[in-house]
Amino acid sequence: MTGPQPWRHRHLLDVAHLTAADLDTVMRRADEMAVILRHRGARRASLQGVGVTILFYEASTRTRVSFEAAAKRLGADVVNVAAASSSVTKGESLVDTVRTLEALGADVIVMRHGRSGAPYLAADVFGGSVVNAGDGWHAHPSQALLDLYTLRAHLPGGRIAGRKVVILGDILHSRVARSNVWSLTTAGADLWVCGPATLLPGFEAWARALPADRRLTVTADVDRALAGAHAVMALRLQQERMTAGLLPSLAEYTAEYGLTTARLRRARPGALVLHPGPMNEGVEIAPDVAAGPTSVITEQVANGIAIRMAILELLAAPR
Amino acid sequence: MSPRAPRPGEPCRHLVVEDALLVDPASGHHGPGTIVVEDGRLAEVTWATPARSRKAPAVVVMPGLVDLHAHLREPGGEDTETILTGLAAAAAGGFTTVCAMPNTTPPLDDAAAVRDVLARGRASRSPVRLLAYGTITAGRSGERLAPMAELAAAGAIGFSDDGAPVDEAALFAHALAYAGGIGRPLVEHPELRSLTRGAEAHDGLAATILGLAGWPVAAETAAVARALALLEDVARQAPAGAAPRLHLTHVSTADALALIRAAKAAGLPVTCDVTPHHLALHDGWVGGDRRFAWEALAAPWAGKATAAEAYDTATRVNPPLRSPDHALALWAGLVDGTVDAIATDHAPHPETAKRVEFGDAAPGIAGLETALPLVLAGVAAGLADLATVVRALTAGPVRALGLTARGVPEPGLTVGATADLVVVDRAAPWTVRAATLRSRAYATPLEGRRLESRVLATVAGGRFAYLDEDWAGGTDG
Repeated sequence: MTGPQPWRHRHLLDVAHLTAADLDTVMRRADEMAVILRHRGARRASLQGVGVTILFYEASTRTRVSFEAAAKRLGADVVNVAAASSSVTKGESLVDTVRTLEALGADVIVMRHGRSGAPYLAADVFGGSVVNAGDGWHAHPSQALLDLYTLRAHLPGGRIAGRKVVILGDILHSRVARSNVWSLTTAGADLWVCGPATLLPGFEAWARALPADRRLTVTADVDRALAGAHAVMALRLQQERMTAGLLPSLAEYTAEYGLTTARLRRARPGALVLHPGPMNEGVEIAPDVAAGPTSVITEQVANGIAIRMAILELLAAPR
Repeated sequence: MSPRAPRPGEPCRHLVVEDALLVDPASGHHGPGTIVVEDGRLAEVTWATPARSRKAPAVVVMPGLVDLHAHLREPGGEDTETILTGLAAAAAGGFTTVCAMPNTTPPLDDAAAVRDVLARGRASRSPVRLLAYGTITAGRSGERLAPMAELAAAGAIGFSDDGAPVDEAALFAHALAYAGGIGRPLVEHPELRSLTRGAEAHDGLAATILGLAGWPVAAETAAVARALALLEDVARQAPAGAAPRLHLTHVSTADALALIRAAKAAGLPVTCDVTPHHLALHDGWVGGDRRFAWEALAAPWAGKATAAEAYDTATRVNPPLRSPDHALALWAGLVDGTVDAIATDHAPHPETAKRVEFGDAAPGIAGLETALPLVLAGVAAGLADLATVVRALTAGPVRALGLTARGVPEPGLTVGATADLVVVDRAAPWTVRAATLRSRAYATPLEGRRLESRVLATVAGGRFAYLDEDWAGGTDG
C-alpha cells in the first residue's frame, strides 16, 4: 500500500468499483472510528449539519439502527423513513420519493430496497450521496466492508491475501455473498461459495469469467469447501426457498449444509465463524457454533457501526 | 432546386438518386446504379457496370421496409404512442408497411375494433401502410378463441396474443388449425411463462453479477419445441387448402433457432423473425456495457471502457437481451435463411413505466427509427451481406405472412411499379436522442449513441413518407 488514497466516490452503490486502495481507505477510517466508539458518548462532529435520511423499503433492524447510530455519532441530522409509514404505500414512485427527500434537506440517503439496482435509480435523481444498504439480491456494501474489517482484525497479521474464506448457504439470493465476492477477491482471499446446487446457478460461470488474479471456487460439496478454511460465513436461509421448490425442507438443509461443530472440524483449528444476521439458529448454524469460541458474529455487529461511520464520513463530510 | 422540399404525404413527383448502391430483392440483383421516380412511379433503374477499383457507394436504395411486429398503442395508450406518431417513426426509419399488434386497450378481438384501427390508419394520411393483427383468444385471456373469421374479414392479416402466449396447449393447437382454415398465420411469442415468473434478465453473467432473477433460455426453447410439435400434428391432419402457418416472433436464442432450422428442413410451415436489438445488443448492456454484440463476444470486463450506468430500464425487453453468442447465432440464422424476417418489436412505454426500478419496468423499447442503422452496423462489421438483410427487412416478411394477398406490393425496384423505397446513407452519422425521435417512447438503450447510417428518404405508395431535411439531393426538378 502506498498510504491512504483520495476517496473518489460520490455514492456507495456496489463493491465492484472499489479498488484494493479504496478498501484500505475504508478500513483505516474505520480504525479511527473504532477508537471513538470505545469511549462511551464520544462524538466526532464531521457530519455536523449534514442531513442523513435512512429510507428502508424492507424490514431491517440491525442495518437500520447501525446506520442511524453511525450518523448520530458523527453529528448528522438523522431522519428515518420507514417505507410502510410514508407515501410509498400510496404508490409514490421511488423517483418522486427521492426528489421529495432532497427538498426536505437530505444530503445523504441510506437506502434499503427489495429490487436489485434500485439505488442506481435513486442516485440518478438525487443531488447528494446514496448509500446502498442492501438492494435485492445485488449488493450490501456496508456488510461486505464490515466482514472484511472483522476478518482483518482476527486473521494473523491482518492478512486476507491467500486465506481460504467460505460463504455457505443460499448464495443465489444473497446480496451479502455477491458483495463479498468483490471485496474478498479484491483483497486476495481464496474465496469459496458453497450451497445446494439449486442455490448456486450462475456462480460457476462468474468464477470462470473472473480475471486470473481473483480466486473464486464454487461447489455444492460442503466438506470440500470447509477443508482447511480460515473463516466460514453462514448465510440466512429463508422459508420462501422451500415454497419455491428450491429445497425439500429446512431439516434436510440443516442435515446437509448446516454449520455444526462436527462440520467446522474440517476447517482449520480456530477458524472464524461469521454470520451477517439475522440468524436462524438450528437451521443454517448450530447454536453452539454461533456462540462458540471462534465466533465473531457479535463483533461483526459492533464493527458495523465503525464501518458505517467511515462510509458516511468518506462520502459526505464537507471537504 | 425546387422552391421548397416536398413534405411528407405529398406525391413523389420527381426523385433521382444517382450513383447509389441499388438492392433489389425481387430480381436478386444488387450493385451500383441510378433510379428515377416520376409521378410516383419508378421510371428508370439503371445498373452501372461496377468499376473494380471504386468503393461501393455509401448511399443505398432498397425497397420500403416491412415491419411484422410493432405496438402502436392506439386505441387506449395514446399517451405512449399513437398511430400517427408510430407511423411517423416508421417512415423516419424507412418502413413503408407496419403490422400493428393487437394488444391495445381494448384489444383487437372483434371485427369493429380491427376496422376502427385500420380506419384510423387511413385517417392519419400517412403514406405508410398500416396492417393489423387480431388476437388469437378473446381478450388475450388464453381461454377461448377470438372470432378469427370475422377478424380476417375486417382485415386482420393474422393472429397473435403477443406478450400473452397461449399457455394452454390444446387451445393453441386449435387456434393453429382454425386460423389455417381461414388462410391466416398465427404469430406466436414463444415464452414458457412458468419459467419466467419474476424473471428480469437473461440468466447469464450479467444477471448473476447484478443480482437479477434469471430468464432462462429454456423458456424460449421449450415454448418453440411445444409449438413446433403442435404444428406438426395439426399440419398432418389439416384438410387440403387449410394448412396451418406458424410464425415465431422475436426469436432470441441459438437453441430455439436450431429447432426452427430442423423444423424447416423437415418441411413444417414455420417462419420466424428476430429483432434488431437482439441482433446488435446483448445482456452486458443491462450492466452498462455499450459495445455491440459482435464486439463483446470475448472479454466480459472490457466493456467498462464504454460503460453506462447499470440497470438502465431501456435495456429491459421481452425476451431479454441475450449473451453475445446468442446474438451471433441470430446473424448466422439470417445468413443461412432460418430467419425469414427482421421485425422491430417497437414497444414504446411512457416515463411512468420506465423510470422505475429495473424489475418493475415495463419491457419494451422504441425500435422503428433505429432498426435499419443497427442492422447496417452489423453488415459493416461483416456479419451478413447487405442483400441478406435487405431481404429480411422487405421480401422476407412479406413472404412469411403472405402479405401480397393483403395488398402489400412485392418488394422490389421494378420499373413501372408504384415507388415504394427507402434511400439510406451509410456514412451520415447521427446521435440517437429519445427526445428527438418521432416515437413518443420515453427511452431507448441507444440514447446518446452515434449511429453511422441515416435514412434520407422514404417513399411509400408513390408518396413521400419521410424526407431528411438536410438532404437536398435528388428531389429537384
